[in-house]
Amino acid sequence: MNNGCDHAIEYVYHYLDQELTWGRRTRIRWHLRRCHECCNAFEFETKLKMLIRDRGKDEPPAELFDRLRALIREEAARDDGA
Amino acid sequence: MADQANFERDAMEYAPQLYSAALRMTRNPADAEDVVQETFLKAYRAYDSFQEGTNLKAWLYRILTNTYINRYRKSQRRPAEVELGELQDLYLYKRLGEASGASVSAEQAVLDSFVDSDIKDALESLPEHFRLPVLLADVDGFAYKEIAEILDVPIGTVMSRLHRGRKALQQKLWRLAEERGLAGPRT
Repeated sequence: MNNGCDHAIEYVYHYLDQELTWGRRTRIRWHLRRCHECCNAFEFETKLKMLIRDRGKDEPPAELFDRLRALIREEAARDDGA
Repeated sequence: MADQANFERDAMEYAPQLYSAALRMTRNPADAEDVVQETFLKAYRAYDSFQEGTNLKAWLYRILTNTYINRYRKSQRRPAEVELGELQDLYLYKRLGEASGASVSAEQAVLDSFVDSDIKDALESLPEHFRLPVLLADVDGFAYKEIAEILDVPIGTVMSRLHRGRKALQQKLWRLAEERGLAGPRT
């Protein structure tokens, strides 16, 4: 561990979330090219983030769309009638 | 100004994401549908005030989040602030490293072992003040600034809750891996 590692780990989520300034991003990218340990850690966090995105979702029941459409049309008809 | 007549066309594509987010928030399909329906109704009524060309997805999520909070926060016991001060950064990665000697294949095997319901349960187990930022960032892909606007909190608060929430999520996943004997210390 050195300063470059500390800096990289401190900003790992900002980096993965693409919330870093260009300068910091470049510094970290440069560090990752040379530091196998940090590179592994970043790859792991990237995979985990993708896993959460891909496995954290549900499909709605098909009827939900019909219900939403009906709701909006009912509301629109009420407005027209008023 | 957006035209109310276009609401259905513009907003419907976000219904699946909104439903999924609502389900993680309420942890119950019937409640999730209710929240999404109320969100659509409120959004339709307010669509005149939506600035066309700005971020419709974030606008809808803001209504969704407020609807959820207004409906359910009152009825729920406020979750205790979880003490996470001691959790280290890269929690899961570090624990796996200690257990498996940091082999990339062992880490991958643990990640591959998590099925959809593991991730969903882990997300749903987070206290609400962590769950919402983690959902919005990791599942829905919002930027910090957007999350701050959706939740109406300062961006610094978003970052700290997100950071702590992710550690808590990783702790849940670690425990799961441990229970399954996938990451136990070598004997």
